[in-house]
Amino acid sequence: MDLRQLPLFAMMAKRMSWLADRHSVLAENIANADSPHYQARDLKPFSFERALDHAKAGLRPRATQSAHIRGLMTPANTGTEKQREPYEESLSGNNVVLEEQMMKVAETSMNYQLTANLYQKHLNMLKTAIGRGQS
Amino acid sequence: MELVKTIKISASGMQALGNRLRVISENLANSQSLSDAPGGEPYRRKTVMFGNEFDRVLGAHLTRVKGVVTDSSEFGRKYDPNHPAADDDGYVLTPNVNTLIEMMDMREAQRSYQANLKVIQSAKEMIGRAMELLRA
Repeated sequence: MDLRQLPLFAMMAKRMSWLADRHSVLAENIANADSPHYQARDLKPFSFERALDHAKAGLRPRATQSAHIRGLMTPANTGTEKQREPYEESLSGNNVVLEEQMMKVAETSMNYQLTANLYQKHLNMLKTAIGRGQS
Repeated sequence: MELVKTIKISASGMQALGNRLRVISENLANSQSLSDAPGGEPYRRKTVMFGNEFDRVLGAHLTRVKGVVTDSSEFGRKYDPNHPAADDDGYVLTPNVNTLIEMMDMREAQRSYQANLKVIQSAKEMIGRAMELLRA
């Protein structure tokens, strides 16, 4: 059974991948905290509706020859955007504020743990259903 | 994998900051290095120029040291007629290194380094947590 066919699991996997994406964008901001003219970026907030739309709207290219590779092109689940209303901007044109970024890192990591825990909980529920979840 | 990418990005930042620290220590070590010929120039302060570079493989902006440039500010002057580098009036040029500024730069580099390290730590935790799902 493919767990991703269950909407709940698919959604949580998506959420975790979004959080991992965000973590890497934040890492970029922090790594460039001293580079002149660097503008901090962040991901668009994860919304349930949008994730659902993405899940539904997969583009499947038509194969007109047997040699064509058939793949499902799903739109990238996230887009980075310039951060609005930064705390401050330094003289060198860099608007990364370490404290703010660290806060976001902590938040992302916490949410990741939360989602992973939820994933595990549901997995255990499935196991209970099939009779092995007593542990 | 996104989280491995995160670690690479942070590592690039740490590498650049390591370079910065190296240049700072060079400045501090040479803060008393004078010339040995009359009218000669003493040690000139160096600074690191940071820039970011788009890495196509990772698809992210990595930090790079674009170059080490010299500080063009004026040298200090000290009256010491017996020194071999003294000019006709008895003044010796001293390096344009301000220890206080170097210490501040060092602090800043240290703080950014720690931030990068924390990000790596948190990415590692996240990877570990995802792997724990296997054990469920």
